[in-house]
Amino acid sequence: MDDLKSTSRRDFLTISARAGLTTLVASAMGINLGLVQVVTAATSRKVTPFRFAILTDAHLFSIEDHKFDVFLALAVDQVNDMKPRPDFVVYCGDIAQNGRDDQLQKGQKILSKLTMPVHYIPGEHDWYLDMGEAWRGRFGKPTWSFDHNGVHFIGMNSILVRDFWTAAGMSAKQRMDTMEMLESPICGPWGVREEQLEWLKNDVKTLGSETPVVVFTHSPLWDYYPRWNFQTEDAPQIREILGKFERFMSFHGHVHQTVYNKIGNMSSVGSLSTSWPWPYPDVKLAYPNMRMNRSDPALVEDGLGAQHIDLESNFQGTMHYDPFDDMLKPAIKDGFKV
Amino acid sequence: MEHTDTKHLFAGLGTAITFGALTLLVNTSALARPPYTKEELADQEKALLGVVDHGRDLWHGSNPSMSSNGLACGNCHPDAAASNPHTFPKYQADLGRVIPLREMINWCITTPQAGKALDVNSDDMIAMEAYAFYLYRGKQISPGLATEQTAPVVVKSGPGYPKQGSGVGYDK
Repeated sequence: MDDLKSTSRRDFLTISARAGLTTLVASAMGINLGLVQVVTAATSRKVTPFRFAILTDAHLFSIEDHKFDVFLALAVDQVNDMKPRPDFVVYCGDIAQNGRDDQLQKGQKILSKLTMPVHYIPGEHDWYLDMGEAWRGRFGKPTWSFDHNGVHFIGMNSILVRDFWTAAGMSAKQRMDTMEMLESPICGPWGVREEQLEWLKNDVKTLGSETPVVVFTHSPLWDYYPRWNFQTEDAPQIREILGKFERFMSFHGHVHQTVYNKIGNMSSVGSLSTSWPWPYPDVKLAYPNMRMNRSDPALVEDGLGAQHIDLESNFQGTMHYDPFDDMLKPAIKDGFKV
Repeated sequence: MEHTDTKHLFAGLGTAITFGALTLLVNTSALARPPYTKEELADQEKALLGVVDHGRDLWHGSNPSMSSNGLACGNCHPDAAASNPHTFPKYQADLGRVIPLREMINWCITTPQAGKALDVNSDDMIAMEAYAFYLYRGKQISPGLATEQTAPVVVKSGPGYPKQGSGVGYDK
């Protein structure tokens, strides 16, 4: 027992990694809460303060009792246990790994345990087996907006690529396989494309410039690392359309890491996944201190987690990363102003 | 007499120098031949890239025995990022000893991927190493370095390899 007490959580999880999935319940021992203050100039419109949470990138396989099923369930428990309770959750894409409906169904079942409403946007892993048919059947339209406590929330599908499969005579499975590869040389850049840009224009047409706006996409709305589609090709047009607002916040999945940026009136925050962490590409970041520690592959949960955001009455936001393990640098834990 | 001897000496010396120069010229000419012709080098590069290509496919899930949970190397290491081949051999904390890259590859196969280890002398293992090293070409060799975060040579958007990807992660 003394030995157990003296074993750090990090060491314990290393042991868990070796021991297998049955020890994953160890993660219930504690949760580290990281804090990032995304403090920007306040908008003039009043917001009724509240919290929302983000889950993303579960990448569920069809294999039964897969470790990623456990990780997603852990994140769901984490969100349900939050105090104050989030008003809603946004799922930022990639529930499935191979776009199969059984994978989406499994994710839907796990996410149904959330005790608050959930809004969904798709990722490329959800979409390209059947061009989103199963996803839409389960989660509805991929493009949406709603108002909550004085904030206008927008969700868009940012993983649309130009047709690379028809001329090549690819099957649906080949198309999906090609999209699954992060560094695929074939797929080309993602984007929201013309139809959603038109929708966005109409959606915000009647909103005043003082309206607080929050946007969710799978990929970042800035040019981070196109090789891995850490970008959205028509993000400049999105930022231009939303340029009329005093400021807006963008939250995204896909990067499986902590990352922050600010361009013009947009602040952009990346999210932790519940599957695997991705290394940082070799590019210069404007806010390098926002990077998380290098993940230890011996710790099955390292680099993974959930996140939540507290919005204040003046539309100031506080971003909290909620990792399963202790992997946030002090700069992120203690918060920083931008 | 003395003058004649000197003349002969210079004449002999001149002959020796001429012979030596000719010999040097012949030898230099022989030494200057490139170790391989352009055609031979092209063949060697083609052979290397063929192995690198094979490694790339293995890295992205083409050998089902390397994973029982669907995960491939490329899931965590796109473009071989954070595989850090230039830092091996180094101490691996989970194994408690210094290991070469091939042992680290097998650790990843058997632990996060829950697959079957490759024979360390197999063509597949050579291909895995070839892919990782190729993407880190030009990086300074730093054995034993405990890295915080490293990335491979920056790969520009574009083909990289003229081959269709086999897909990250297969599903049983």
